[in-house]
Amino acid sequence: MVFLRSEEHLERWLDAVGQEHGATMPAAKLNELARRWWWTRVERDWRPRTPAESQAILDELGLTGEFWQLS
Amino acid sequence: MNALDLRIRNHAYSTFVGEGRAPTTVETAATLGLAEDEVAAAYRRLHDAHALVLHAGTDKIRMLNPFSAVETPHRVEAGGRSWFANCAWDALGIPASLHTDGSVSSECPDCGGPLALEVRDGELVRGAELLVHFVVPARRWWDDIAFT
Repeated sequence: MVFLRSEEHLERWLDAVGQEHGATMPAAKLNELARRWWWTRVERDWRPRTPAESQAILDELGLTGEFWQLS
Repeated sequence: MNALDLRIRNHAYSTFVGEGRAPTTVETAATLGLAEDEVAAAYRRLHDAHALVLHAGTDKIRMLNPFSAVETPHRVEAGGRSWFANCAWDALGIPASLHTDGSVSSECPDCGGPLALEVRDGELVRGAELLVHFVVPARRWWDDIAFT
């Protein structure tokens, strides 16, 4: 996952490297996702999330549809 | 995940957060009073459980997500220290995981220009207009996590 300056930069980069368009979001939304996803990761009482718990985080942020299905 | 694996995981994370580097199996074994092969087996179980990522075919840590043990285009400063992150998501994950403000220095893969982001009190106060691109669909994220 990469940061890009704009949609124009994304399309030019995808053409240059021959990759297909995946999914995009503004960096501000990624920050929300990062906070929910990584909040407990360094804590000593961290435990692995279940796939359902991880999926719920994506769902709650509106990241639904085939691309965002973990299984 | 058993108690030994969690203990070893926590040691790896605390070492990485505190010292900016991942402990070897020898170092972890010495610190925790364990046999090296016991630690190596735990590293492999943690890798299989996606709790850390080893360099292919080795017992050497490559990722303690969101932290990267190798240099990447995503540099993060938080709480007066700095680390590399594995990707854009992980870059914002470092201040989140440390519950602190932070700044990210990255670069646009198209033009190579510098990109700066800053998180303050949980909000992205700089770089919020930048775009993030996910190449790989969620169900294939762990097929090749270094590419993802």
